[in-house]
Amino acid sequence: MATKRFIKRHSLQTRLTHGTVVFSCIWLMISGLFIFVPPLAAAAPGVAQFMRVTHRIVGTIFILVPIISAIAAPGGFKAFLGKYFTKWTPEDFEFMKKFVPYMLGPKRVHMPDQDEVKSGQRVADGMLILGGIAMGVSGLVLWLGTSVFAASPGTIAVMRFIHDLFFMVLVVFVAAHFYLGSGIFQPYRGTRKLMFGSGEVPESDALYHWGFWAREEIEKGENVVEREV
Amino acid sequence: MAEKAIMFDSSRCSACKGCQVACKTWNLLPSPIELNSQKWSGTLQNPPDLDENTRLVISFDEKPREKYGVDWAFGRRGCSHCTDAPCVQVCPSGCMHKDEETGFVIFDTDLCTGCQYCHMACPFDVPRYHNVGLSGYNITVNKCTACIDRVRNDRAPACVSTCQPGALMFGDRDEMLKIAHERVDLLKEKGFEAARVYGENEMGGLHTLRVLKYPIEQYGLPENPQTSPLLGAMGWMKPILGVGAVALVGGLGISFLTGLGYHRDEMRYDEVNHDIIDVDTGETIRHIDKEAGER
Repeated sequence: MATKRFIKRHSLQTRLTHGTVVFSCIWLMISGLFIFVPPLAAAAPGVAQFMRVTHRIVGTIFILVPIISAIAAPGGFKAFLGKYFTKWTPEDFEFMKKFVPYMLGPKRVHMPDQDEVKSGQRVADGMLILGGIAMGVSGLVLWLGTSVFAASPGTIAVMRFIHDLFFMVLVVFVAAHFYLGSGIFQPYRGTRKLMFGSGEVPESDALYHWGFWAREEIEKGENVVEREV
Repeated sequence: MAEKAIMFDSSRCSACKGCQVACKTWNLLPSPIELNSQKWSGTLQNPPDLDENTRLVISFDEKPREKYGVDWAFGRRGCSHCTDAPCVQVCPSGCMHKDEETGFVIFDTDLCTGCQYCHMACPFDVPRYHNVGLSGYNITVNKCTACIDRVRNDRAPACVSTCQPGALMFGDRDEMLKIAHERVDLLKEKGFEAARVYGENEMGGLHTLRVLKYPIEQYGLPENPQTSPLLGAMGWMKPILGVGAVALVGGLGISFLTGLGYHRDEMRYDEVNHDIIDVDTGETIRHIDKEAGER
């Protein structure tokens, strides 16, 4: 048994919001495939109808939960924005430059220290958020524009194009996010627990991934907990 | 069976709407019977447009002449049965398809997923849907099928069979085109300069041909029907996604393999001396020089 330090990184509300969005996103992708891939709908039209209904219900959850979460914690939302819309440091640029070589050779490529949100995270998460907003807005128009009001065929075509385009974008970024976030990539082992666990990161991992942030947090001590492991 | 067509001669139409009634009767499509339950179109056009239970509407348009009287145009609003049918191209389930023998565009309700993409693609704003609602459950398409069940049994579509003035004709498309052109020639001889055949080449050729007596604007038809260019773009998205997905999985697979066996020593931070220390050996890995501005 040894005493180890952990840094609190994600609140329960953040983890619940993230978890809801993750499962919504997965279901939306699966149910959306029944329209995106014609043979699926042709093979099982009854299932496709069911998927369409659930696509709307889960889509509503996907849109509303982050909005409610932001309204419930305006301070946290402001801090969240501050982490993403921040001036890039030389280390941020170096991180981006080394990212692909690092992904293909983590044993020999060493990454620079990072703040609470890595520059690569800012780009990737930014694309996920942008994609989520684009999917949400276009999905709403596709849904309500063919039920509550009559959107013009041109509007529907544009919205469907956006929906399809960002579906493709999201497939790429969600896959990469899953690969890193779930810790399949060996240097990222354990990161799964940040969102699907206690929300705390061990000191050693924090120093490796977010050096600037980890040292700052440890010096402040407010979010540091010690635990026997 | 040769390619077929319905030919509508607007110069012969008396707008009796018998075709509308025949369509509803044969296809078991109800009409609302409650008092004032229909929207009023402002003309004799009734119902005002196609709807979930109305596959065919005779359109009315009045245009005052320069000196006296009006040009009263009766049109036939319904599926044009395009050769290059965009509704068929965008249908994700194969519900909307072409009858290879006749060229008519028909649908299989059992395959409809209710996506309504066919409406988005149609340059004539034709397909309508049953059960449209927020839930999206059991939405199914409805539109003219040229009474394909009758045609396959050597009978004319219901609308054609009931047309008293002979404004609707049915037969081989080549023959219908020939008759249409003869009618247009006759109309021009009689002074209807704007008379024309509509549907010979539009959208690759329509299987609902129209003889227009008056200018096309009076019939609500697009001069050059086209579908959104975005639909073409959506066609190449899926192959790109397929290639991209394979490349992504391949890339991540290589990344995973190069990361196998990765190990790093456990670290801790001495916040007093600003040193990063190897937990196992106790050695200082790195000193953070705060005085030099390091973070």
